[in-house]
Amino acid sequence: MREACAAAVDAALGAGAGYADARAVLRRSQSVATKNGRVETLSDAETEGIGVRVLVGGAWGFACDRRLTPEGARDAALRAHGFAAAAGGDSARALAPTEARFGSYRTSVERDPFSIPLDEKVALCLRAEEALRHPDVKVAEAAVRAQSERKLFLSSDGAEVEQELVECGGLIEAIAVGDGLVQVRAYPSIHVGSSAQAGWEYVESLGLEGEAPRVAEQAAALLRAEECPAKVTTVVIDAEQMQLQVHESVGHPTELDRVYGTEAAYAGTSFLSPADLGSLRYGSEHMNITADSTTPGGLGSFGFDDEGVPASREAIVEDGVLRGFLTSRETATQLGHGHGGSMRADGWARMPLVRMTNLHLEPGSGTLEELISEVDDGIYLETNRSWSIDDKRLNFQFGTQMAWEIENGKLGRLYRDATYTGVTPVFWGSLDRVARPEEWVMYGLTNCGKGQPGQHAHVSHGASPARFRNVQVGVRS
Amino acid sequence: MTGALEIAERALEHASDEAEVYVGSERSGFARYAASAVHQPTLIDDTSVHLRVVRGQRAAVATTNRTDDAGLAELARRAAEMVASASEDPDVVPVAPPAEHPEVRAYDAETASLGPADQARLAAEAISAVDGLELYGYVTSAACDSAMVSTAGLRARQQTTDATCLALAAGEGASGYAMRTSWRAGELDPAAVAREAAERAERTRGAVEVGPGRYRAVLEPYALSELLYYFSFDGLNGLALLEERSYFAGRVGERAFDPQLTLVDDALSERSLPRSFDFEGTPKQRVPLIEQGVIRGPVWDRGTAARAGRASTGHGLPAESRSFGAMPTNLELAPGDAESTEELAERVGDGIYVTRLHYLSVVNPREAVITGMTRDGTFRIRDGRVAEPLVNLRFTVAVPDVLGDVLGLTRETVLVNQSDFYDERWAYGNRVPALATADFNVTGVGGGPGL
Repeated sequence: MREACAAAVDAALGAGAGYADARAVLRRSQSVATKNGRVETLSDAETEGIGVRVLVGGAWGFACDRRLTPEGARDAALRAHGFAAAAGGDSARALAPTEARFGSYRTSVERDPFSIPLDEKVALCLRAEEALRHPDVKVAEAAVRAQSERKLFLSSDGAEVEQELVECGGLIEAIAVGDGLVQVRAYPSIHVGSSAQAGWEYVESLGLEGEAPRVAEQAAALLRAEECPAKVTTVVIDAEQMQLQVHESVGHPTELDRVYGTEAAYAGTSFLSPADLGSLRYGSEHMNITADSTTPGGLGSFGFDDEGVPASREAIVEDGVLRGFLTSRETATQLGHGHGGSMRADGWARMPLVRMTNLHLEPGSGTLEELISEVDDGIYLETNRSWSIDDKRLNFQFGTQMAWEIENGKLGRLYRDATYTGVTPVFWGSLDRVARPEEWVMYGLTNCGKGQPGQHAHVSHGASPARFRNVQVGVRS
Repeated sequence: MTGALEIAERALEHASDEAEVYVGSERSGFARYAASAVHQPTLIDDTSVHLRVVRGQRAAVATTNRTDDAGLAELARRAAEMVASASEDPDVVPVAPPAEHPEVRAYDAETASLGPADQARLAAEAISAVDGLELYGYVTSAACDSAMVSTAGLRARQQTTDATCLALAAGEGASGYAMRTSWRAGELDPAAVAREAAERAERTRGAVEVGPGRYRAVLEPYALSELLYYFSFDGLNGLALLEERSYFAGRVGERAFDPQLTLVDDALSERSLPRSFDFEGTPKQRVPLIEQGVIRGPVWDRGTAARAGRASTGHGLPAESRSFGAMPTNLELAPGDAESTEELAERVGDGIYVTRLHYLSVVNPREAVITGMTRDGTFRIRDGRVAEPLVNLRFTVAVPDVLGDVLGLTRETVLVNQSDFYDERWAYGNRVPALATADFNVTGVGGGPGL
């Protein structure tokens, strides 16, 4: 891999590039899923190749090749150079300085998820899914996944880093059907469940089998629940939904490439501007958001990003005020602040983009029960079901799987089909309490989309339950 | 480049079980631009080999992009190891049988020959067509080669090309969108796409808010295609029908939509992004989904069709995504008689005009409730004419409501690319007209147009 990367960088510089970097990547992914007692998915995918990025007279170029050989690497470098030269560019492009680094990083793993026999994984899914069975549950599903990625990054700025990232995760999901209603209940998250950069011990810690009966009971109970009423009220939101709230309404708008418009055509821009740094009130004084690519177990953890910038922990929002953006070396230079560190690529065949790493809502004080006990009339919302936000990341609407009325400080009746909507800074401005560190939970999602061609990022978010006042719930079609 | 079929056949030779192999090769270029400069040019050259093995009632899938003999042997070893761990499934889908695949014209040599210099030139044509605003988006083109073989005797290959120009013309407080796609790059006029986006953007300055409520509306093809795409996840998916998640559940044969609505999936049409067979090797066919407002049924892959006692309609997804069910990828909504979107605005009288939708999410699959935002060209319609620009609007609609009282459809249709080119390249899209509806539920407001 090193020989290939070096050949790519040498070839690009030899062709006249002012800067070049190369990433050789070997990725292996494994998925096991069972549904209603049968194996639904049993797949194992490997892919390898090299991606070469060059800067030629202020124009970027990127090309890739699946041959991990000096010949393939050189070909990719020359194609990237040719594309950059043909595209032409902005001669003012500059990269924030970074120290030349030699380094390595490896996920801390107790049990390599690929060393776990497949039949053990299948058996776990079948047991967990068996425990989801319930007369009202039409579809019971369990899944586990694992991924390993070995990569070597080498740049003309002198960086040479080798990393091995290992992650795994899982979920269970019950779909209850009755009387024309369809209700879903998943654990620990919907979509692709929750993953962590860790060994198989993470999947075991999820306790999928043990959680299944509760999940099934709740799915069934939703069929008999009343529809969530429409009103403006106080909401208490669990850690799982909060992590997506952070992702969508803080993570994406603080990606500096969006602020500068380079995602305008697809993922969108941001309501933030560079001048907002240090002054914009994003939310109440209870709002503290940290970007931390050093978080143990975070899917966005690494030793170095895909520009060779070392991992770091940075404040994004402090006491409700915007203190930082997620940056690349290029956007940090444009801003005149920061040093990059958030550039990540989806495998070897995509160009790095500014992405979230691990973005957390820092905990406050008090228990979930205390947050609820201080509410006379409100709704407690749990676990995401639907999600949507506008291109500037202002107007959002989320649906949750579960909702309970809060009456005089206690949970009351269960509601189905709960939604809530708001406008980002107004919503975060209404944050009046975040629960304590002991209630802080980190979730990892693997389906964050961005870029053209599209790229998936794997990111983690930690959060404690939080309370917001004057929120519109119960949006109707 | 070694052909996909040759690679597939070599991979099959390494398999010791009943097996099927799908090979997909991509050679593509993306000239992605922002602020009127190409900023993320990406060249991709990759080949993936998917080997599915079936041993008795067990099945497993392994994938690699190493196509030398050592790589294919390792692929077979991994697949064999996995299938040994699978549990028995009485409903296991056998390996793909031989089939007669329709001849489909989907490959254009001129498009296949486009290189990075051409993609950069086409991007420059788009960029230089716009004055006073900046252009964001991309020009892309690709040549793809896919093949499928099986130990049961299936042998199929298709070569396809695709090209897309996407343009967002934007400035302070203004943005407009346009896009064209085709399997023949020569049919694209990047400058015209950019001008369409810019013309629309110029009309979005000074956007104002409207209150929540139910509006009559015109949906441009871009917006309508996106809405149908999200509806299809559950609504048109055979698996969702079996699992009673689909709006179609219990309603097949009912008139649930306006009689003007006829929706098919037709990958054989040259006016689509055509394909000859799906990822299971099943021949593509024209599938009626809604006829004159009457629900005819969803699309099926081999697994869901077997469970339903039907035949696959040729809508199997890549093996790794098959748990999602079956997906229509070439929707075609029959046109109407309106000569233009202006005529649709006349029929609306008082309402809103929507160019493009953003970040949709299915709120309630059974009732086909979808939420999302409008963007890059939202206007008020007053007195039958497109009037002042509006800020981005949140909508929360039941699709059957939107399609239940149709005020008209344009005669002209537009092919809208719905693939965002994640993972392996696979261009797909919908051909739809613009549509006027009597019911579009606005539930909030977002930011204004522009950057």
